Amino acid sequence: MDDDSRNVAGRLIVAYAFSTLLLGCYAAWRYLMGDYSRILLPAALALVMLVACLLHVARPNQARLPAYLALLVGYSMLALELPWLEEAGIMWIGLAPLLTVLLLPLASAMLLNLFLAPVWLFLSDTALDLHFALGYVAMTLVVALVPWEQRRQQALLEATNPRDRHCNALACEAMHELLGSEYQRTQFLGQPLAVLVLHLPQLEMAGEQFGSRARQALLDALCLAVHRCSRRHDFLGRQGTATFWLVLPDTSQSGAQMVQQRIEQALESTVLVDTGTLRAPIAHCQRLPGESWPRFEQRLLELTRKLSET
Amino acid sequence: MQSKYKVGLMRLNLWAAALLLILLAYLAEPLSSALLLVLASVWLMVTASLLELSYRRPPTVPWQLLPSLLLAGLLLVEPERHALWLWVWPALLMLPQPGWVLALSCGLAGLTWWRLADLLGIEQTLFSGLVLLPLMLLGLARNRYLLPSRAGARQRMRLVPGLPLWSSQQLSADLRRERARCRREGVHGELMLLRMPRGKFWPMAQELCRLTHDFENCYRLDHRTLATLLLSRNDDQAKARRQALLKGLRPNAEVRFVALDQVSTLDDLTRHFAHHQPQPQPQPQPPTERPNG
Repeated sequence: MDDDSRNVAGRLIVAYAFSTLLLGCYAAWRYLMGDYSRILLPAALALVMLVACLLHVARPNQARLPAYLALLVGYSMLALELPWLEEAGIMWIGLAPLLTVLLLPLASAMLLNLFLAPVWLFLSDTALDLHFALGYVAMTLVVALVPWEQRRQQALLEATNPRDRHCNALACEAMHELLGSEYQRTQFLGQPLAVLVLHLPQLEMAGEQFGSRARQALLDALCLAVHRCSRRHDFLGRQGTATFWLVLPDTSQSGAQMVQQRIEQALESTVLVDTGTLRAPIAHCQRLPGESWPRFEQRLLELTRKLSET
Repeated sequence: MQSKYKVGLMRLNLWAAALLLILLAYLAEPLSSALLLVLASVWLMVTASLLELSYRRPPTVPWQLLPSLLLAGLLLVEPERHALWLWVWPALLMLPQPGWVLALSCGLAGLTWWRLADLLGIEQTLFSGLVLLPLMLLGLARNRYLLPSRAGARQRMRLVPGLPLWSSQQLSADLRRERARCRREGVHGELMLLRMPRGKFWPMAQELCRLTHDFENCYRLDHRTLATLLLSRNDDQAKARRQALLKGLRPNAEVRFVALDQVSTLDDLTRHFAHHQPQPQPQPQPPTERPNG
C-alpha cells in the first residue's frame, strides 16, 4: 500500500505544481497585456496553489486539505473569469462539476454540485437557455457516474476477496466458509479436525496508545509466527478484531497440542518495540467423534468468547 | 445482494442521466448529434439494467470503448453546441480500463480540443488545453487500477460472490497445495475438466457447484472450460464418483479426468481438449485418466 500512496502522491504533486505554474503564467500574461486590474487574483491564487502543492509534498497522507485548496482556487478563477467571457466561453462552466468530482469524495461532490448548479448557471447568464441548462445538468450527472462505478468495483472487489484487509489471514466470512468445507472434507475422508483459537489482548491497547503502526506490527508478528509454525494447508482466519482461528485439518489431539506449543514458543521469543513481548493465549478445540457442524461451531464460538474475556 | 453492493442509488443516477440525454436528443437539431445522444442514452440504460449481472462478466473492451467514442463523436459532429462536454474527458480517465484504451482516450481528447479551436479563439484554446492537462493528470491519479500493486486485483480471485467458483490463478496455487496434501494424507485426488459451448457456461458452472462437495472447489479456466478438484478415499470410491458426476454432466459437456500428480501446468490442461478434439467418437465408458500430452 505504501507504493500505491507514493504513486498517487507523485501524480497529484505534478498536477498541483503544473496548476501553480499555469496560474503564475496567466498572471504574467495579464501583466504583459496591460490588464493591471486582473493580475492580483491569479497571482494570489498561484500562491494558494503553491501552498497546496507544498502541503501535499510535506504530508502525502493527508490529501484532504490540498484538495480543498485546489477546489477553492478552481472555483474562484472560474467565478471571476466567467463574466468576462464572450458567448463561446460558456463551455468553461463544465469545469466546475468536473473539479468537484476529481477532488472530493462521491457524497460531498454530489451535494456540492447539486447546490452550486443554479449559482453557476446564474453566473454564466444563461439560465434562460433551457437547452444549455439541460446539457449542464446532464453533464454533471454523467461525470458523477464515474466515482459511482469506481465505488461499485471497489465494493465488489472487497466482497470477492477472501483475505483480511489488514493482515495475512483470511477474512471472517471466507474463513467460516472454508472451515465448513474442511469440516465436511475431514468427515468425508475420515480424518480428525482441530482448531486453535488465538487471542491478542494487547491489540486494542496498542492501537490506542501507540497508533496504527504498533497495531499493524502486532498483527504482522502474530501472522508470521503462526504461518511459520503451521503447514501449507493449515489456514489462519480472523474471527474478530483480536481473535484468530487456526484450522488444522487431519490433525490429531497430540498433533494440535504440539503446534500450539510451537506457536507459544515462537510468540514468547518475539519482542516488539512498543508493546514488548507478544502475549497471545491459545486454546485448543478438537472435533469430537460424531459431533455435528452446528454443535462444533457453537463450541468454538463459546471457547473464543471465554478466551477473550479472561 | 443488490443492497450489498450499493447499486440502488447508482442505478437511479444512471437512469436520470439516460433520461436527460434522451431529452437533449429530442431538442437537438442535426440528426447525427441526436443519434449520438440516443446511443449514449441507450448505453447508460443497458448498463443500468445489467448492473447486477456484471459481476459475472467484467465489462468487455468494446463496452468500455463506447463512452470515449460517443463523446468524441458528439464533440466532433457539433462542437458549438456541446463544447461543454469537453470536460468529461478527465473523468473518463478515472474508470478502470486497459492501458491502450486510456491512451486512445487521451488522443481523442486532444483531437476534440483541437476541433474546438475555431470556436474559442486562440487565447481560450491555448488556456483550455493547458487546464485540461493537469485535470487529466488528476483523473489518472484517481484511477486506482493504474497502480502497480492493484494491477493484479483487477482479476478477481472469486468470480461471483456466493458461488465457490474461482479464477485459474487460484487453481495454480491450489494445485500445488492439494498435490502435497493428497500425497501426505494418502487421499486419491484428481482434476475434472469440462468443456462446453459458451452459452451454457454459467448454468453449467452452477450445476457443477451444486453437484460437487463444498470442499471441492470449482475453477474457471477460460470462457468455456471449467475445472474441479475431486477427492476420494480410494480408487473405488473415485470410480463411483466419476460415474455419478458423468451421469449428471455428460450430455452437455465434454469431460476429462486427470490425476493430480500428472498435472504440471495450466496450459497443459487446455491442451487435453485440443489434442482430442479431432476425434469425433465419444469417450470410452469407464473414463480413463489420460496421460499428459
